[in-house]
Amino acid sequence: MTILEELTNISSSLPNSAINEWKAEGKKVVGFLCTYMPEEILYSADILPVRLRAPKCAETTSADVYMSHLTCTFMRSCLQLFLEGKFAFLDGLAFTNSCDVVRRLYDNLREIKPSDFHFLHFITVPHKVNEELVIWYKDELNEFAENIKRAFGVEITESRLREAIGVYNETRRLLRELYELRKRASPPISGAETMNVVMAGSSLPKDRYNQMLEKLLDELRKREGISNYRARLMIAGSGGCDNPDYLGVMEDLGGLVVTDSLCFGSRYFWEPVDTRGDLMLNLARAYLNRPSCPRMVENVGNRGDFMKRLVDDFKVDGVVFQRIRYCDLWGGQLLYTKKDLKESDIPLLILEREYVMRDVGQLRTRVQAFLETIER
Amino acid sequence: MEEKRSTLGQVQDCLALYNAAVVGMRPEENLGLAHLLQLLNSCFGEAYRAKEEGRPLAWINFGIPSEIFWAMDIVPVVVDVLAGLVAPTILGSIATGYIDIAQEHFPDYICANNKVLLGAVLSGEMSAPDVFVHPANPCDSNLATYPVIAQHSNFPYFCVDMPYFKNERGVQYVANELKRLIAFLEEKTNRKLDFDRLRQAMEYSNLAHEYFLKTAVLREAVPCPYSSIDVWAEYPAVLCMAGRPELVDYFKMRYEMTKEKVAKGEGGIASGQEKYRVVWIYGAPAFDILIFLWLENEYGAVAVGNMNSNFVMKPVEDISDYDKIMTGLAKKTMLMPMTRECGGPWEDYLDPTIELLRRYKADLAVFGGNVGCKASWAIIKMVKDKISDELGIPTLVLEMDLFDPRIASSDYIKDQFAKIFETVLKR
Repeated sequence: MTILEELTNISSSLPNSAINEWKAEGKKVVGFLCTYMPEEILYSADILPVRLRAPKCAETTSADVYMSHLTCTFMRSCLQLFLEGKFAFLDGLAFTNSCDVVRRLYDNLREIKPSDFHFLHFITVPHKVNEELVIWYKDELNEFAENIKRAFGVEITESRLREAIGVYNETRRLLRELYELRKRASPPISGAETMNVVMAGSSLPKDRYNQMLEKLLDELRKREGISNYRARLMIAGSGGCDNPDYLGVMEDLGGLVVTDSLCFGSRYFWEPVDTRGDLMLNLARAYLNRPSCPRMVENVGNRGDFMKRLVDDFKVDGVVFQRIRYCDLWGGQLLYTKKDLKESDIPLLILEREYVMRDVGQLRTRVQAFLETIER
Repeated sequence: MEEKRSTLGQVQDCLALYNAAVVGMRPEENLGLAHLLQLLNSCFGEAYRAKEEGRPLAWINFGIPSEIFWAMDIVPVVVDVLAGLVAPTILGSIATGYIDIAQEHFPDYICANNKVLLGAVLSGEMSAPDVFVHPANPCDSNLATYPVIAQHSNFPYFCVDMPYFKNERGVQYVANELKRLIAFLEEKTNRKLDFDRLRQAMEYSNLAHEYFLKTAVLREAVPCPYSSIDVWAEYPAVLCMAGRPELVDYFKMRYEMTKEKVAKGEGGIASGQEKYRVVWIYGAPAFDILIFLWLENEYGAVAVGNMNSNFVMKPVEDISDYDKIMTGLAKKTMLMPMTRECGGPWEDYLDPTIELLRRYKADLAVFGGNVGCKASWAIIKMVKDKISDELGIPTLVLEMDLFDPRIASSDYIKDQFAKIFETVLKR
């Protein structure tokens, strides 16, 4: 099995072999949402943070009863898997107020109690950034750390936290290196494959993940690049875009996804965390200042700038902006993004989708038409 | 070419029509409502004239304390109230026109309250504000819409951030945000906040609030001394006019009228007609508030309470210094109806709802579920189950849009009520 195949296997299900091995050692696993939750704190306590996703979720019938059909299917799919017992391996949950439906998933889980969670914690993340709010967020993170210590009887020392941040920074560096390879005229890895690589990292211990990434990069440097594509694409938009098959449809038609502005992609790992000085403060500052989701109210223009920078750096021919139905935040951002990209002459395809992939025929038709207008 | 009527002008037209359509039907029974409509008319009139009078105009979202704005002589337009006032079909459904414009650029599933404002902005009928202020709670729909409108149209913008939990630490967080808001307002409008004016606005706000709370106790009486529309209509006035002496006059008058009615055992609707007591635990169809009259006439069902008028928080207790006022306003802001229910843990929805239903002796809870409100739809099953378990009463769940009759029409809503009154609640 190649390293890419191994990572793909891990990416495609929850739990997976990596989680099972971790649990077999008697160690704890905490599920979390979303990218504003500094995983380093859990990792420094030798607890595996697993970002909640719903791979292999086929339908949401039971979850719809609780969350109605008027909420995003990403969160409903997660609830569905909880109700089906697929997350029974989790020892706890850590949530943030990322969006309305994330926090309502937390409410439903607290009430329904699909598993006997040993640990529940909710972190308030400010919606904007200034020095006072960074300090406030730091206090939230300190409280989180204290709660972990109490609940699991573990220590979170400064040196362990520094080490954890170092490991995570290494992940960030390696993933940036992976993305660098995609800037080539003939990138050695497709968008769908890259998504598998990044997704695998959301449930792997990062030290092990880093070793795998090193090997992967060695393999990719020797791999023949992809050159028979019609256009270089960037994918952007809503959270819950974690299904490589979705990108696979675009790539089967000749598009090549060379970069992204996704919270399951570049925005997850783009900037490192400072390891000098007050570590909690560094975490608070870094997480609040990362390339943002529209939950951050003062960054409307910055999000556009980030996308345009990627378009330039990765020589993107067109942007595919997907929004999951009922995702208010990314739905609203579109008003600005449409105008912004148009002013910069960047072609844009807007797609609405559900978390569980359906309507592949319609997706193919839209992407095919887009490729015809932008192909080289 | 005929000049287009501005949105604020259309609001005033709507208020005049409202007066004719609703108060005009039963003028002797609607003295309170007539007074409320006058208040709103005067408030939106000030907004309409603000530019020519050289006064700064602020768009604010519910939850932002209007007291601060009145104290600084900045005229606040509560954009949610505006959306509600232009929604009624009997007034020409101005809101749906704005919604259509908004949906050319925005997804259909975003709350229509926000789409009305966006449509008004994009139509060019809404004059630009000097400042645009909203709180981060209760929902993503606000966060998705307001910053983007501000960026798109280059409006000076401020978001009062709010934490998830309504504890003392959270109160201080919001109090600090309100202080930053004042600094922002001073910078953008060139007006300094005068402490004496702020304290006076707080005195008015507190007095009105105290009368409101005393009247809310009287409203528990059977029969309910308020009509359904009376209960519903006070929310917009409180949002727009807190801090103004006119609101004190209204609530004082209302308290005295209500006390007298309760002493005589009179109801808000014709004597002996009250058969069912209904509490709306979310919104109600702003596009057709005549449904309230239909429910009263058809089934003797009086809407004795609703979430939006459930102002159970205390007035700001200590207004002796600036910091204490900010702390008090922060508490009030966090507990503002809807902000409280939809912007925090689900217990913040459940507990006041159960208490509201219990207190007003409800026979039926009605969830007028706005299709754009993910924060409420995602928990309504749990809320409904708790209402049934704890109070033994049913909840009618309506999938509708508060501002747009094209999602669920008045006839559809009436049909849903008919089914429940003629089966589950049949007496």
